[in-house]
Amino acid sequence: MRDLVFVAYVAAILLLAFKRPFIFTLVYAYIDICSPQRLSYFMLNSVPLSLIVFGLAVLGFLVSDDKQNVRVSPRWALLVVLLIYCGYTTTVAVEPVAALEKWAWVWKALVFAAFLPLTLTTRLRIEALMLTMVLCVSALIVTGGIKTLAGGGGYGVLVLLIYDNSGLFEGSIISCVAITVIPLIIWLAKHGTIFKPDWRVKGYALALIFSCMLIPVGTQARTGLICIAVLGILLLRFVKYRLVYLGAIALLGAVSIPFLPASMTQRAETIKDYKQDESAYTRIAIWQWTWEFAKTHPMGGGFSSYLQNRIQYDIKHKQDPNNPYDDYMEEGETKQIVDAGRAFHSSYFEMLGEQGYPGLVIWLIIHVGGIWRMEMLSRLYRRRKREDEEWVAPLATALQNAHIIYLVGCLFVGIAFQPFVYMLVALQISLDTYLARRRKEAAWRPIKSLRLHANSSDGKAAAAV
Amino acid sequence: MIDNFSILLSHGWLIFAFWMLTRSETLDREPPPPLDAEPDGFGKRQTLRGKPRSKESAADA
Repeated sequence: MRDLVFVAYVAAILLLAFKRPFIFTLVYAYIDICSPQRLSYFMLNSVPLSLIVFGLAVLGFLVSDDKQNVRVSPRWALLVVLLIYCGYTTTVAVEPVAALEKWAWVWKALVFAAFLPLTLTTRLRIEALMLTMVLCVSALIVTGGIKTLAGGGGYGVLVLLIYDNSGLFEGSIISCVAITVIPLIIWLAKHGTIFKPDWRVKGYALALIFSCMLIPVGTQARTGLICIAVLGILLLRFVKYRLVYLGAIALLGAVSIPFLPASMTQRAETIKDYKQDESAYTRIAIWQWTWEFAKTHPMGGGFSSYLQNRIQYDIKHKQDPNNPYDDYMEEGETKQIVDAGRAFHSSYFEMLGEQGYPGLVIWLIIHVGGIWRMEMLSRLYRRRKREDEEWVAPLATALQNAHIIYLVGCLFVGIAFQPFVYMLVALQISLDTYLARRRKEAAWRPIKSLRLHANSSDGKAAAAV
Repeated sequence: MIDNFSILLSHGWLIFAFWMLTRSETLDREPPPPLDAEPDGFGKRQTLRGKPRSKESAADA
């Protein structure tokens, strides 16, 4: 039954897309984020759905779009360079089979991110992609939020639509992404044009934001808690009454702590108590290994090079009161941990270990460059003060805040190639190139140059006659 | 049950948004923006940093 519903749904949105081919691009984003193939059982799995829809999106762009409005930027070029470089490191990967497996989805994410700025040529298209991203992620966030409220959360326990521990369905990743989308939701609720910002839209946005905040509670992923703290600090920048805001945050924190599950507060405590936390200690050991690995593989070991690691470290034992078999060691006694093939647990080290120093530098320029460009745009458009551009500075700030939250969250999670984030990067590039074109179109010209332009046009017309 | 509700809600909004887009006139093409106001002084123009060029730098140029 679920299969039939999904097939009908995909058919319906594809039908709408035939009317306006840009929607094929949005349908691809939907398939990439929501994975209806994974949500259904067999029917959608039997066809290469994303490939077909991506082909239709490119075809729609080639046939119906006005290519005169297409602009690219240096960061777009860097995306292409990163794609080529990742292709190169895959050919020399230390783990060739695993590297090919990761390359199979990474290249799609990067190609789609490079394609997006070519087609996001109007304000409405930029907004439409943002809305699509938010609504698609909300499929996971709403279910996660309700289950958390109903007490169904827990570390590695909260199931989001399907029992899967990869992509956005993984606890740490979704808790980082859920907080990342909050600035986008706020912007859509204030400046959206597809859904006009009335009380219903604002109410839904508020409920969705609340649900986003519940995801780190439900998944008990510490990354999400750190992301919430970063969001709180970032929002402080443009708040009118800072003291009132800080007071409200403190009050909200104090009121909500008693409602949090005990397992959640215990897990949050381990952020500062890392010497007894195996998970935190493993991360540090992996990062040390990656640093040494990069010295012998400066150009990168290719995707999934972490499979080569063998780590060993000492840790103080902490007894688990919930585990009846945990009586083989005294509290505080030193034990040795030996592990192998542990993931990078950090996007920065993921880039260093997989793509080496060149890959890390390209990746950092793409991401930090995005934050810098959004800052430039935000400042410029706050000064321009044009009525028709009031939406620009808040959007640049929202994209910047979302990106900063991601860059902090990904310190502890290996999501350097998360397709959702590359859509965010593509949104920034598109906004930047779109605004540059619009500024040029709106630029004031002296009457003399307008006359000269008109005369030269007349002359050309006369010559043509 | 909760999963189905969440899928229904998000997918419902999404298809509604797509349908709204099919009716929009500015999805593929936008009217040109209104022209900028005349600068309030000789040689003044906005730089990307948002600061107007100073007289000295304009004269140097």
